[in-house]
Amino acid sequence: MAELVGIFAASHGPLIAREWETMPRAHRDKLAAAFDEIGHRLKAARPDLLVVVSPDHWVNFFINNLPAVCIGIGDEHDGPPEPFMKKVYPHKVLKGHAAFGLHLLQTALDNDFEPALSHRLRLDHGSCIPLWRAGVPPDLPLVPILVNDLEAPMPSIRRCLAWGRLLRRAVESYPEPLRVAVLGTGGLSHSIGEATMGWIDEKFDQACIKHFQNGEEQALDDFLTQALPQTGNGAHEMRDWVIAHGAAGGTGFELIDYFPSPETLVGAGFASWKLPANRAGSLNQRSRQ
Amino acid sequence: MTDYWLSKLFFDLQHDPQLAGEYRTDMPGVIDRYQIKPELRQALLDDDVATLSPLVNAYLLRFYFQIRGMPEADFIARLHAMKSNAAQTAETARHG
Repeated sequence: MAELVGIFAASHGPLIAREWETMPRAHRDKLAAAFDEIGHRLKAARPDLLVVVSPDHWVNFFINNLPAVCIGIGDEHDGPPEPFMKKVYPHKVLKGHAAFGLHLLQTALDNDFEPALSHRLRLDHGSCIPLWRAGVPPDLPLVPILVNDLEAPMPSIRRCLAWGRLLRRAVESYPEPLRVAVLGTGGLSHSIGEATMGWIDEKFDQACIKHFQNGEEQALDDFLTQALPQTGNGAHEMRDWVIAHGAAGGTGFELIDYFPSPETLVGAGFASWKLPANRAGSLNQRSRQ
Repeated sequence: MTDYWLSKLFFDLQHDPQLAGEYRTDMPGVIDRYQIKPELRQALLDDDVATLSPLVNAYLLRFYFQIRGMPEADFIARLHAMKSNAAQTAETARHG
């Protein structure tokens, strides 16, 4: 049986890649330390595959065909197409995990979720900046889940929590021994291409972190549902953190670091969720009953 | 309100470097391949951020002005000016 061995979340602002060499050294060191810690914890979890939950920045989809959620079920995916990513993450092809991707898709359909599917996705900076900075080996198989965080209407927070629980169920019901980690990317607050561009809403970010720490799913749902329309548009990517949180069972949130990063235009956030060693086993047992 | 063809132009420019190159040398010629409304055609030619902004996804707007070669600081300044103008209009309306 497969097991969840690690759950993580990290910001992915494109300026992290575009301005990496030119941003003030102290700030770069701060970002590097947080990503390194994610990388360290991820490595310690020894995953066989990584589920990456991220938005699509108009790389795979357009408004003529825009899924709320799309699961990558291919054996391979394409690396980031953005020119600024080519020098820092030059991988043209990334390994997928078709068997688990298909199992996740089937588990979703069996549980009345109807995601889109793709046999080959392009993984943009949203997925690849955290992979690059956390030093994830480029040959680690990935199962991408792309969530519409960019164009309203978007999936509800309630549904994202349910997606997280579903993801955990899919891991626990996978029949082969497989160590699965989850990485949610994006956030925290930022404002892109709108009248408030550059605004980092620290009040929102701190409240958000508190809600993840408190672990009360209804309160998190209420808070984000009310607050997301009032802050910068980039904060909609918190849906990817919420899916990670749902996969963790809504508990165990550990903040690695948070700081406003005007240099990269985001409230930079980094977190992992504590998964007690015996918990994955007990969840497996429960799902078999 | 989303404008489909404006969005399509921005999307295509992001995906097709050759088209983006052509756009740099012949903006009107490329625009004419899309069903762009005349007032938006002019807004494109004028780099009119405020007119284009409500009609396309904010991320596509940012990509577009990167392709146009507008420095990010200028782009942000024009976005912020929209906010100031909106506040000024609201203030004027309040005072008649």
